Amino acid sequence: MNASRNIAEPARAPVGAWAAPARVRLGWLNSSKGLGILLLMPALVLVVLFFLMPVVLTGVFAFTNMSTATGITGGAYQISPGALRVLTDRHGMGDLAERLGQPTYVVDDRGLAALEEMGIDPGIIAGLRRQYSGETYSSRREFERDIRNLPVRPDTRTVKRISEVFSRSLGNARFRSSTALIAAADAIDPDLTEEEKEALTATTYTGWTWTNDNFRRLATSRDTTRVFFNTLFFVAMTLTLFNVGYAMLLAITTHYIPERPAGIFRIIWFLPRISPVVIYVLLWKWLAWDTGFISAVLSNFGVRPRNWMLDTAANAWFFVILINGFVGASMGMVIFASAIKAIPESLFHAASVDGAYRWQQIRHIILPQLKWPILFVTCYQTLSLLTSIDQTLLATDGGPGGATEIWSLWVYHTALNNYAGNLQYGLGAAMALVLVVIGIVLSLIYLRLFNYNALVAKPRIEL
Amino acid sequence: MRILLDKFSKSFGDVRVIEDMTLEIKDGEMLALLGPSGCGKSTTLFAISGIHKVTGGRILFGDRDMTGVPSQERNVGVVFQSYALYPHMTVADNIAFPLRIRKLPEAEVKRQMEEMANLVHIEALLNRRPAELSGGQQQRVALARALVRRPNVLLLDEPLANLDAKLRLEMRSEIRRIQLETGITAILVTHDQVEAMSMCDRIAIMNAGQIIQIATPQEMYRNPRTAFVAGFLGSPPIAFIDAVANNGMLTVEDADIRLPVPPNAETPPDGTPVIVGIRPENLGRDGDAPVRGRVSFVETQGRENLYDLTLANGRVLRSIQRVSDDVSLNDEVEWRVRSDQLFLFSQNGERL
Repeated sequence: MNASRNIAEPARAPVGAWAAPARVRLGWLNSSKGLGILLLMPALVLVVLFFLMPVVLTGVFAFTNMSTATGITGGAYQISPGALRVLTDRHGMGDLAERLGQPTYVVDDRGLAALEEMGIDPGIIAGLRRQYSGETYSSRREFERDIRNLPVRPDTRTVKRISEVFSRSLGNARFRSSTALIAAADAIDPDLTEEEKEALTATTYTGWTWTNDNFRRLATSRDTTRVFFNTLFFVAMTLTLFNVGYAMLLAITTHYIPERPAGIFRIIWFLPRISPVVIYVLLWKWLAWDTGFISAVLSNFGVRPRNWMLDTAANAWFFVILINGFVGASMGMVIFASAIKAIPESLFHAASVDGAYRWQQIRHIILPQLKWPILFVTCYQTLSLLTSIDQTLLATDGGPGGATEIWSLWVYHTALNNYAGNLQYGLGAAMALVLVVIGIVLSLIYLRLFNYNALVAKPRIEL
Repeated sequence: MRILLDKFSKSFGDVRVIEDMTLEIKDGEMLALLGPSGCGKSTTLFAISGIHKVTGGRILFGDRDMTGVPSQERNVGVVFQSYALYPHMTVADNIAFPLRIRKLPEAEVKRQMEEMANLVHIEALLNRRPAELSGGQQQRVALARALVRRPNVLLLDEPLANLDAKLRLEMRSEIRRIQLETGITAILVTHDQVEAMSMCDRIAIMNAGQIIQIATPQEMYRNPRTAFVAGFLGSPPIAFIDAVANNGMLTVEDADIRLPVPPNAETPPDGTPVIVGIRPENLGRDGDAPVRGRVSFVETQGRENLYDLTLANGRVLRSIQRVSDDVSLNDEVEWRVRSDQLFLFSQNGERL
């Protein structure tokens, strides 16, 4: 046995040695798992770049105070009047603020050395060192008077140049790093505590910082409540009246009328969905303008022409819900109609001979079997209405006076298109994050409400 | 309740499916509408139930004209081929549906529903949904739902078509038992002659929108009015051969066969071409008229064997006989026909 194995080994070895590395190199490509990942790679990259990243970044930005003012890169430390006000009001460091803001002149070795470099008359430098070294002035005029009184009597231009060199004021000074800022502040007040230094760096920083303030602002702002209820009203009305209610009405009526007119009727209701949003909304605006159709018709009856869409808050809501609802109804109509069509005709025959008239057939046969499509449409349309922005933006832009400002529009106005010009990315991101959370919570509630588990449970067939 | 179709016609668009059909179903009778696919039997059933509007004629339940009455008010029970159970309701709710739609008091609904469930033996399944039932159980539920409202007439549309062979046998007798117990007038639509013969009091055999013959199963088998009826009833089916009347005998020239005219037919004039129908059980070892041929096919059915007998002119007769070992494939044999059991038809299929 051993002998024969020994003879066989050398013969087999080269084949194995040649085959093994090849299998190692390409083996993962031969499995569906490995190849699948490779083929999915481009899609994965796109998903990560254009879907996952924005979501993650929104979550990240929500915890910053990014805005046009802070920029999205780092910042510097600037002792601006605003920062000094914050220092006084919020941190009780009024003394320091006052001194930081005031012009100060200190005759120190640094300034003297600078004078030497500038090539100022050595007599003047010697005089300054002898007479005023260590002096501090809070007024430029006082300091310059002393310089003029030097024995050498420098001319006015030189006096100005000298006084500038000794200026130690921090008002409007800009520092690249916090250490430079602290060093400068130390020069003015050497007794600063660590806490005071921290407060100083925090208030003078011009870049963005991590913060929870966005959520605190959202939680306490009165706008939040108003916009929240606007959104609730908008979604609830559009969803129940149009996306589900009207869609169901269309699906059921077209089920009971002959095929051809039913098809034409359905296509008509598809027009709002397939026409470009801008043109679709412009048609509505034309309808409602003060020189538009409604005004023109009503002027015959002595009604004053006006912009019916933006005339009152109630009118604005009427149009916003109509405009969004007509777009949304078509999807529900198609889904419900095909679901009704999937119900075997014999069920309707059975219901008829069982004594059920049309209304009872709808109530007992159609609606119970449309549970799942209704859940789907409700869920899908809630989420799409929560984030829908284009029709409302084009129609009322949240007007009149913020009456139709819905959450998504609010996010847009806060983060991307602000009247004041200061785009608050951080706050906008926080608002968007809230919207995402609301969407997820709603989906979970719907699934529980419609008893998702029972819907997908396997039937227990017994033969 | 007596059901009467009086000169009933039905067309779909330009296609006339049924024309001037008159049919009476007696009170308490179970009648089969038997015929091949597309003969109009289901159309007739849908017209009686009111699902389809009639194009012409009248439909009477008892003395009441139901022609224009919507199906909701006809009080008919229908068992559909697919059973058409409501998938989102339990068995109990399915059976109770016709009663609830009529707004009966809930206690009464429950009582009648349970009574009906007992009748069709599905008491134990009341809380299940149709998807959790086997075909036979669904069939029983459909029957219970059709019967629970005590309908004027029970209509069964191919009720056994979706069942496997064993269940079909079981449900055949079950449906008949339930019909006899309730004494309800019933119409069974089927293309299966065995179902029609075994379940029904009478059979109305249909072809191309016409009723060809109405009779009891026995009478129809023994005395078919046309070659179509003779060919539709019986399994294995009857065999036909062409013959010519000659001196009071029927001769098949090129096969050297001479058969006497059966006593149930009048002797046709000499030279008349006729069609002779021979049922497989009437061709065998005992009989009076000899027939020679070659055994071209043998099918063993256990108790009996089925033989194909190819005549000299190439036509094939069928014979069913007790199993025996003395005949095998390709044997030349001389068997005998019971000539008194022959059927004689004219060239266009009318019985002579």
